[in-house]
Order: sequence, then structure tokens, then C-alpha cells
Amino acid sequence: MSALALDIPIVETGRLILRGPEARDFEPLAAFFADKARSWGFGGPKTRNEAWRWFAGNIGHWALHGYGFWTIETKDGQVIGITGIWNPDGWPEPELGWVMFDGSEGKGYAYEAARAARQHAYEHMGFTTLTSNILPGNTRSVALAEKLGARYERDFTNVTHDTEMAYRHPKREGM
Amino acid sequence: MTAVAIPTLETERLILRAPGPQDFGPFAAFYASPRAGFVGGPLNAEGSWRMLAMEIGHWTLKGFGRWTVIEKGDDTAIGMVGLFEPEGWPEPEIGWDLFNGQEGKGYATEAGRAARSYAYDVLGWDTAISLVKPANLASARVAERLGARHEGDFTHERHGFMQVWRHPAPGEIADGGMEAYA
Repeated sequence: MSALALDIPIVETGRLILRGPEARDFEPLAAFFADKARSWGFGGPKTRNEAWRWFAGNIGHWALHGYGFWTIETKDGQVIGITGIWNPDGWPEPELGWVMFDGSEGKGYAYEAARAARQHAYEHMGFTTLTSNILPGNTRSVALAEKLGARYERDFTNVTHDTEMAYRHPKREGM
Repeated sequence: MTAVAIPTLETERLILRAPGPQDFGPFAAFYASPRAGFVGGPLNAEGSWRMLAMEIGHWTLKGFGRWTVIEKGDDTAIGMVGLFEPEGWPEPEIGWDLFNGQEGKGYATEAGRAARSYAYDVLGWDTAISLVKPANLASARVAERLGARHEGDFTHERHGFMQVWRHPAPGEIADGGMEAYA
């Protein structure tokens, strides 16, 4: 018997909880991926079947790397999005990513969650620098990256998403 | 905390163990090859990495999954065999992928039988299928050796047209009927 223990830390902010993915997160994630207008900047749209494989893959990402996407919950238990560190094989370097589900924007939740994820990555996971890869035209994501203090660094060709813009986050000491 | 205990199975010649990062090299080499066309490939390295991650997450979400197969005495992955039911699958499946150069030794049959026994004896399944691409004759022969019968077909959005092979039920095996351990 080998225990596949996924010791995914819980990160708490003023209004939010970042926790490991659980089976009940699949439905809101599948709804997100089904919506092209929301998911085009995140590898979408995806069918329900492909969304499940992404979801299972994110859990495996935690097992293989020790980090991945957390599920973001409000303090009253509402699942509102995901944020975390993503680095599948072929990625230029680990990136900080974020997704807000329908109805959760405009409240500063993405900023609050991504900032907490970045801080946790710097303080507890050994990261010294992080990027965020953003598809051209994803202005909301650019605005959040800049609000987080990240700056445009370069264009690069992503193995699955064609040309993306890499934004560089401030280092830990610069936060 | 998310956790799942992945059992280790032992057969005469093989160990079925939890998949891990050490399996990525052989896993990606297989999925990059033309033979992977029968099982959702070929995939580039990134696609293979995501697939391996998915195999691990499958255990967490379903409570079962596919094992990495190794020969006793050598931890190098030679295949992935086990129980598979991602979203959109018609029903729980016993699957076997032997990596390149490992065919022809009866390993798929040996590992597939162990996986099926686990499904029936430990998980309590009362039936199981295997999905086989029509051109994958070697895989169909494994299904036959395990006593399964081609009962229909299934078309999947990603994998396309596949044959559905039905395994003997637990009672049929216990009776020593269609599956003699010859």
C-alpha cells in the first residue's frame, strides 16, 4: 500500500479560504470550462469530459510537483474560483494563475486569492520568482497582474496556447 | 487534506504500484509513439505529463485507477494497467497499456487479471468492460485470454470508435468456467 497523501495546505485570507480540490468542485469548474467567453484565456472551452481530465490532472499536479491550483471558497463555503501555481511539462517556468467563476468578479476576490497564493508560494514552497502567462486580449487578467505588481516581460510561444505574454511578479522582498 | 491509499498488487512476475513522477520518462516515450494511437495518443511531452497527472487524480476522485506496472526487481515502468472510468466513460473499465518492447510476454494478461481480481474481490464490482480499438488486435487478444467477449461498440468524443468487451462476472470466474488459469 502506498499512500498518495496530498498534503495540500489551507491558506486563509480576510474573506476567503484556499483549499485542495475536492470532487464537489467539479461542477462549477465544468460550467466555467463550458463557457467560451469565460474560459478562452485558460485553455477553454472544454467539454465536460475534458474538464474532468483537467480537474483530475490538477490533483495529480499537486502529487507530482507539490503545488497546483487551490479551490477558492468564501468563508460561507461558496466555491468561487481557483488560483495557484501551474507548471506542467513544457511550461517555461512556474506561473501564478487565477480563474473566477461566474458571478464572483468585481469584489476583489481574485486579487485577494492570488496575492495569498503568491505569498504562500514564496514563504512556504520555496519559490523566488513567479510569472503569469496571459493571452493577448485578456485585459481583465492583465489588469489583475498589474494590480499584483507584475510587469510585462516578454512574449513567448506556449506549448498549447500559442503566443502568450509573460508577466513577471515582484520578488518576495519586493512585495 | 486530500488523500488516497493506492494498494500495491503482486503477480507472479509483476508489481502494480502507485504511479509517480519517476514514471514520466517511460510514460511519455510510450505516449509519443504510434502505438499510443490506440489509447488516445500520440501525445507531446506536455500532453503526456498532463495524462500522468490525470491518472493520479483519477485515484483521488474515483477511489480506483490505473497502476504503474513494473517487473519484479526493476522499478522502471513497463506499462499502465488498471481500472479506469473518467467522466464520459460508459462504465468502469479494465485497461492495459504495455510500453514499447514489453509486448508478447503475457504481461498485459497477467496484470489485467490482477486488476480485475482487485475490482471484483476488493471493490465489489459485479461486472467490468474493456474498451478496445478495432485495429488493436493485440489488445483484443488480451481481452479474449481474460475471458471477455465483444458485446458491442462505443464512440467517445476523444478516443473515437471502440469495441466494448465484457468480462466474465465474478461468479463465472470463481466457478472456474470461462477463465481457466491455464
